Amino acid sequence: MTHSNIKSNLLTPTNEDTLGPYYPISLCDNDSMDLTKIRSGIINEPKGEKIIINGCVKDINGELANGCLLEFWQTNSDGIYRTPDNETHPDLDPWFIGYARNRTPDGNFTLTTIKPGINEELNAKRAPNITLTIFSDGIMRVVTQLFFEDESSNENDPLLRSVPEELRSRLMIKNDGQNEEGIKTYKIEIIMAGEKETPFFDDFAS
Amino acid sequence: MTQYGRTIEIGPTDNTSNERTPRHPLHLIPDSARASFAPYAPYNYGINPGEADMTRLAAGRPRADGDPIKVTGTITDQFGRPIRNSLVEIWNANKHGRYTHIEDQSGLPLDPNFLGIGRTISDENGNYEFWSIRPGEYLARPDIGRWRPKHIHMSIRGGSSRLITQMYFNGDPHNDADPMRILMGDNFDKNIGKEYDTPGKEFDCGYQFDIVIGGKNPTFFENDIA
Repeated sequence: MTHSNIKSNLLTPTNEDTLGPYYPISLCDNDSMDLTKIRSGIINEPKGEKIIINGCVKDINGELANGCLLEFWQTNSDGIYRTPDNETHPDLDPWFIGYARNRTPDGNFTLTTIKPGINEELNAKRAPNITLTIFSDGIMRVVTQLFFEDESSNENDPLLRSVPEELRSRLMIKNDGQNEEGIKTYKIEIIMAGEKETPFFDDFAS
Repeated sequence: MTQYGRTIEIGPTDNTSNERTPRHPLHLIPDSARASFAPYAPYNYGINPGEADMTRLAAGRPRADGDPIKVTGTITDQFGRPIRNSLVEIWNANKHGRYTHIEDQSGLPLDPNFLGIGRTISDENGNYEFWSIRPGEYLARPDIGRWRPKHIHMSIRGGSSRLITQMYFNGDPHNDADPMRILMGDNFDKNIGKEYDTPGKEFDCGYQFDIVIGGKNPTFFENDIA
């Protein structure tokens, strides 16, 4: 990783390193991939449309990328992130956190959540999206942001617009019918490397 | 208008790195979308007593084989501001270079007294400490004779601060050929624990490993938990 050589008083960061293949599975024991349950065993659910996203992470050969640690981050159905700055926001949903993580043993994952809303906190209408951070063996953390196909707000989303048009479909979570309980299901394939690779974003240089 | 940032380098001789490293330069994030890239992890850790002492399975149990070591440090942002109350997760191999992880099929000896997994939380000043056994190196690529040097994995998570890294040991003969060490270049020094004496203590020695979390994610300082 290279950093600016402009002289500054900033401390040099510790280098990120790979996750390695042996991230302790038990450290995820209390992590849930169901964001519609703020804790286990309660009946209350957050506001909004409950959805299920089935996804996978693949490598340059199209093989599933096993052992990745995945972190998800999204707004509630009103488009509000649960950050400390928003602690007293009237549209914060007390039944929704918006942060999930888990280790995928084989490269597949299922996230149960609510459809994120449109975020307008920063002078820009953000189309509904989910930030995904991937920690893996062989590579430092990579981040991307995933959108929902058929959202009219996608058209003016500043992040999507910054990505070449032909790559935008790679960031789209696709409709995939519904399950037997009538919950809408979606699918997404993350490709870490190669010709069809998912666009990833630089949160150090930008 | 498309703008690009860094291109991630592939770790030499690391097959997984070759398979999983994006080839395309990373895309820059427009200002109006930048804040959305900073997850805020809730504090829900519930750490049990004794989790920071990885030298034994529980109080009163025998010490694991190998050299007990103490690792201490301060976690700050690039401005030197302490990162408080953040979760530090630690995992390392035993003295033989074997993890207790179910997917470590190396066949190296296990130690019935060593789990190799610990957790702690940084204090009000960003300080943390834990105890472990100095890990062994292990042969990562038998086909080309490449070893992984001794290292301790650490994950730091709290609020918007996020880092997964490894602490290495000065003078390990396998450091120079390690793929990620090669990518770190001159900055490798930041990832070495600085050895210090612990006279009269029950440790072989201590290592000071100060951690600076870089990047532009906002760090929320006003929300300290009691």
